Amino acid sequence: MSKVVLVTDSTSDIPLEMRERLGIEMVPLRVVFGEESYLDNVTLSPAQFYDKLKSASALPTTSQPSPAQFLEVYERLIAEGKSVVSVHLSSAMSGTYQSATIARSMLDDDSQVTVIDSKSASYGYGALVVAAAELAARGASREEVAAEVLRLRKEMRLYFLVNTLEYLQKGGRIGKAAAVFGTLLNIKPILTIGDDGVISPIDKVRGQKRAFARIVELLESELGAGAAIDLAVVDTPGDVEAADDLVEVLRSRFDVKGFRRSEVGAVIGTHAGPGTVGLFVFPAGAGQVV
Amino acid sequence: MVLAGAERLSQQAELINALNVFPVPDGDTGTNMNLTMTAGVAELKNKPSQEIGRAAEVLSKGLLMGARGNSGVILSQLFRGFARAVAGQREITVPLFAAALRQGVDTAYKAVVKPVEGTILTVAREAARHGESIARRTEDIAEWMGEVHDKAAETLARTPDMLPVLKQVGVVDSGGQGLVFIYEGFVHFLMNGRTQGAATAPYADGWTTYPSASGTAPAAPAPVSKPAVSQASSAQARLATESIQFPYDMEFFIRLPGRSAYSEASFRKALERDGDSIILIADDDIVKVHVHSRRPGDVLNAALAYGELTNFHILNMRDQHRDLLHPAASAEAAGEAADPMGHEAASGIPDMPELRAAEAATQAVEPAHPVAYEMADFGVVAVSVGEGNDELFRSLGVDAIISGGQSMNPSTEDLVQAISSLAADHIFVLPNNANILLAAKQAQELADRPVTVVPTRSIPQGLAAMLAFQEEQPAAVNEDRMLRAIERVLTGSVTRAVRDTVMDGIDIRGGDYIGILDKQIVASEPTVPAAAKGLLARMLASGDETVMLLSGEGAGDGDTAGLIAWLGETYPDAEVEQHEGGQNLYPYLIMVEKSD
Repeated sequence: MSKVVLVTDSTSDIPLEMRERLGIEMVPLRVVFGEESYLDNVTLSPAQFYDKLKSASALPTTSQPSPAQFLEVYERLIAEGKSVVSVHLSSAMSGTYQSATIARSMLDDDSQVTVIDSKSASYGYGALVVAAAELAARGASREEVAAEVLRLRKEMRLYFLVNTLEYLQKGGRIGKAAAVFGTLLNIKPILTIGDDGVISPIDKVRGQKRAFARIVELLESELGAGAAIDLAVVDTPGDVEAADDLVEVLRSRFDVKGFRRSEVGAVIGTHAGPGTVGLFVFPAGAGQVV
Repeated sequence: MVLAGAERLSQQAELINALNVFPVPDGDTGTNMNLTMTAGVAELKNKPSQEIGRAAEVLSKGLLMGARGNSGVILSQLFRGFARAVAGQREITVPLFAAALRQGVDTAYKAVVKPVEGTILTVAREAARHGESIARRTEDIAEWMGEVHDKAAETLARTPDMLPVLKQVGVVDSGGQGLVFIYEGFVHFLMNGRTQGAATAPYADGWTTYPSASGTAPAAPAPVSKPAVSQASSAQARLATESIQFPYDMEFFIRLPGRSAYSEASFRKALERDGDSIILIADDDIVKVHVHSRRPGDVLNAALAYGELTNFHILNMRDQHRDLLHPAASAEAAGEAADPMGHEAASGIPDMPELRAAEAATQAVEPAHPVAYEMADFGVVAVSVGEGNDELFRSLGVDAIISGGQSMNPSTEDLVQAISSLAADHIFVLPNNANILLAAKQAQELADRPVTVVPTRSIPQGLAAMLAFQEEQPAAVNEDRMLRAIERVLTGSVTRAVRDTVMDGIDIRGGDYIGILDKQIVASEPTVPAAAKGLLARMLASGDETVMLLSGEGAGDGDTAGLIAWLGETYPDAEVEQHEGGQNLYPYLIMVEKSD
């Protein structure tokens, strides 16, 4: 049986050292500031991105990898005798999954490649890729690895807070949160990504403290008060205070077993904006997600 | 030929960006398609070939490498199929071209995970089908391509009927538009390649009146008069005329009555359902309306809900357009003076508003689209006082605002009118004052549709209720959410005492400022800031609440800054937010949300 390699794209926000340790292949999306084009997480680090964003006159735009980029990776891995599980950003938010699917269809033999629409974003599927890579390292088959991704997607509780809905709005990725009014007030919409891969609002409350309290309440009702959890939190460089506070609150209310902190990269950052905090919670022991 | 297509696309990239609403309205379809095509062309220039099979393969490879965005990817797939069909061929013929277009469409459909109709896919498919069906009729590739282009343009014009989001925004599909431009470039090249001397003939720019960012119709182009291309351009123009999405260019005024339920946001929403290029300029008692619409009658009816209408100007832009194709008629038109509204006069119709309106009305009798206004599930009417507070309510989704409050209670009729002005099935009413509750209940009885009165007794309670409102929930759930939200907030108000008295155990002197917590007087002080502080001290029990200060008439800038500083020092754990509410009588309205 051939060894399974995980392929993902740059929006999974998996830190470089983890990708290297687990042999995860990453295909970058592109971020364009005016005339300058960068490869997400390759030629533009999260820290550089938020720095540039501050001084940029217009919002950057982003674009999905071309099918050729995926094709090159798939062909190389197949030539090495590997098989591939390729997991990508929600197809409702980006054409990345589409490009990967096309690349697969262009292979002479596509039997060794599985492409999965994660219906999620950022470490909200990065975690699934990490767990799948851990499983693959233990010799699991392509089918088992793919099944693990889908199983863990269902186990995950995903919430995120944005400083303002403006970026989601301008980037066109606002999904069902478009109905959330109130840009004048200090409203913290609590957002999630539904099973359909579309952003949807859970609640809107005023002030950060109340937002955190509401998230704790939601998690307690689903997992039980004081439950043992694996926790991953992503934030944006230069704006980490909120994430620090949230981690503190969660540690005081839950038994945090596994913990991972990562950064929201340039592409997701373009559409969510600085100050975004993402929270991914699994019942402890659900998988090696962090 | 391909270069001409790429060039035409490149010229129009911004327009395509402006049309981009599907699948993600990020306004970059033009950029993406252009970059994709540019990559293909670069490859072709790099490895030129006189054989169609080779050239198509090179182009296809370049497109694939450079594919960006959904439309770019689909474009690359169209040419990938095309290249396969012509592989090994030296020259292209009409039947081969037709088969190749068809194979491109098949390839693209297979490549796309969930093909959606009303997009570039549909435009490509219909054009290819048509191309196949007429392939036997002609051997002239230019003529054939012209027909394929026309079919593509015609299909493009129908995309809003296939994809609801396009109709909603009032645009054609952006990717499809890009493809039409590419085909247009092909036609242009083929025509010019055949007719010497016309190589520099310009595109009839401006012959389409798609919605543009500036909201104005493009300037009239110089009619293309060179005989060699006139046939092709008139064919294009004929289609383009039909493809004007919102043919009726309307301008008129609404005279607002004393207490009108006019809300720019909801009127705009109503206009956007079947129109674009909307400009609304409101004065105290008059609103100037400009819109391009498909259904002028509906526009007028919607406007009637707000007041009397006057000074109509309605033009059929398709007529203006047809004139471009008939220079004689255009010349006549040019002789007429511009009308007082700053419009170019349309030919064929005397410059008389009544006649124009009548003409437009006759044409409107045969609607192309039997869609009436869609009713929203919910509408919200709120009573508010102060411009800042009005704005806060609107920002939270209130559709109609009625001015009123402590000193000026709106009538039941005002409320009923506001309710019936909204295009929504179920209306929530927020009276935001105890004295208006009764009128709201009466309005509920008299209204022509289901109404829920949420018994908000203050502006802070009204804001809290709106914060809890969730559009996607049923009415009963929302009522419950709003009622619970009201209970979670405290309302504080600072106002001036009118006379000496003792109330709630507090000694009050006339002219002093009093702080009222809900209905109870809790502070009486000689100055506004002192009263506000006394009041806040009573409102903040645990110190980590969320506080919103709404400053009104009588609150000095220094007062407000001082209060915020004082709050920060005294209650470091509280989250404080301040807005200019603009209400009279109350220097401060204060909303405190209890920590959960």
